[in-house]
Amino acid sequence: MINDIKVGALIAYCSIKRGNKKTLAFIVFVLSLIFLNLVFLPSMIGGLSGMFTGFMQDYPYGDIVIEPGKDNTYINNVDNVLQKVRAVNGVRAATKRLDAAASIEHKQKVVGSTITGVLPTEEYDISRYPYIISEGDFLGELSRNEIIIGAMLVEGYFGSEIYDNLGEVRAGSLVDVTYSNGVKRTYKVKGIMQGSFEVVDLNALVHYKEIEDVYGLDGSKATKVVVRIENQGTQDKIKEKIISAGVKEPVFTWADKAESILRQALQSIGAINVMSKFVSLVVGAALILIIIYINVLNRKKEIGILKAVGITPRSIVLSYAFLSMFYVLMGIFVGLILYFALMFYFQANPFRMYETIKIRPEIDYLFLVQNILTMLVLSVIAGILPAWMVSKESILKAIWGR
Amino acid sequence: MIIVKNLKRYYGTGANTVKALDGVTFEIKKGEIVAIMGASGSGKTTLLRILALLDDATGGEYTILGLEVSSLPESERSYYRLTEVGYVFQDYALINEMSAAENVYVLSMMEGKSKKDSYDTALEALDKVGLKDKYARIPDELSGGEKQRVAIARAIAKKPHILFADEPCANLDTTNSRQVLDVFKELNEKYGQTIVMVTHELWHTNYVDRVITLKDGNIISDASSRYRKY
Repeated sequence: MINDIKVGALIAYCSIKRGNKKTLAFIVFVLSLIFLNLVFLPSMIGGLSGMFTGFMQDYPYGDIVIEPGKDNTYINNVDNVLQKVRAVNGVRAATKRLDAAASIEHKQKVVGSTITGVLPTEEYDISRYPYIISEGDFLGELSRNEIIIGAMLVEGYFGSEIYDNLGEVRAGSLVDVTYSNGVKRTYKVKGIMQGSFEVVDLNALVHYKEIEDVYGLDGSKATKVVVRIENQGTQDKIKEKIISAGVKEPVFTWADKAESILRQALQSIGAINVMSKFVSLVVGAALILIIIYINVLNRKKEIGILKAVGITPRSIVLSYAFLSMFYVLMGIFVGLILYFALMFYFQANPFRMYETIKIRPEIDYLFLVQNILTMLVLSVIAGILPAWMVSKESILKAIWGR
Repeated sequence: MIIVKNLKRYYGTGANTVKALDGVTFEIKKGEIVAIMGASGSGKTTLLRILALLDDATGGEYTILGLEVSSLPESERSYYRLTEVGYVFQDYALINEMSAAENVYVLSMMEGKSKKDSYDTALEALDKVGLKDKYARIPDELSGGEKQRVAIARAIAKKPHILFADEPCANLDTTNSRQVLDVFKELNEKYGQTIVMVTHELWHTNYVDRVITLKDGNIISDASSRYRKY
């Protein structure tokens, strides 16, 4: 067996060293495209999926969210809850919010919306709300008669044509808000927020104390506590710590919430991703096999000669496995260069969807390693199979075609 | 050394049967140089390929070095081709991507020799055919005669008991043909190499001890060479 490996390696080495360099370059290029095909689309889909889940973290749910128990509208004694949460090791920041249903009116145009009461200064550490103000400014600590309106509620912004909107509302415009309990308030629009995400752009923000005031709450109630953690990936651990710290209300990670809210969307994306990977794998396997098979057929005479002079079929088959592995390794190498070049390009220049949604591909190193290993396994099979078939042919047929 | 009894090789069946060899019987002794001659289609190449285990016979028996080789399994036939016989092809059959030395030493490596021993063996064989100084050249950088000499070096490097050569000078001019035949003569004289060569050039019989002539798959004459003068 050792002799077979040595001879197989020598044949492969000579073939690479003195073979046609243009053919080699072409094979490597095609293999690099096969590799790229295997990893690029899943990275884009991963980016798309990551973007949706990123929205969930950046706006409504943070990394961890605490919500009222089953039979309660509010988290009672929320400041006590916040105190416990903030004391947990690994928690970076936490804030309370109050959600309320309301209708917003501007010049006879009325839309239904969720208005969230936030503590503006705390939101800078919790969410991206303060950073997505496309017009005007974010709320301040004294913003009691002011409101931030989502962009899809404002005529002229992306998405506003799909939903009912308030017409030409601008920073400084006045809007009338009627809360679900019938209380009416007039607010000056302090800013318009644009997050390219319906959950953000169809909603509005006011000061936490405003909602407290409208609903006559006692000062320590919230519809959710939003928590950000120091290290991504430790959500489940921190969630357990929060529960252990004595928080009785239901605690969810963003993934728990995303799963329930975006389940269908993520499942669809996931299904497309799996199908795309499967098709890419089948196409990749077939192409590798075809490339190596053509290569083997071109060297059929050589295989016959090697057999005729006493080289064992096993050495010949091994030589093609080595050759195929070399081609594929080179293809993977070039493919990785192309892949990272494309990744960096799209990271810097995200792919735009619906004008405002920017999709940045996601680099998943484990996935890359999986694909590299898959390609290598395919290369061995693709090298061995055709060479084995030809090596089984009679010497005369291999050399002289009869 | 070689005993062939009633050897047959038929192609096709029924009315379309082509009898390439139709009951050939002969013996070849150690150290002989034998030429197999005949017109195209007489069966000489078929005979040589069967004896070198590149093809199978339809019937008959053939014993080489006392071993009934006709029924050997492929793995043993491969080992037999590697260690017991050398075969020189009409069209050289060198691996184009290997240098002269690599074309030769790949067989020594297959036999299990170390890289250094294999390399030394290859250089020794190339030296025997006068090509030691061109060991690093690939076939495309060699003339026809030189290619054929590399093919001979490949065949003799393992010191086979029998060297088969299928029209080794068919693609060569007279000068190069002489060089190749001189190599055969020297191998025979110095090392007692048994050589069986297919040829249709009458002047090649100047180099052989014996001529077996085939016609339509049958031996029509088997005689000492009247012309041997080298």
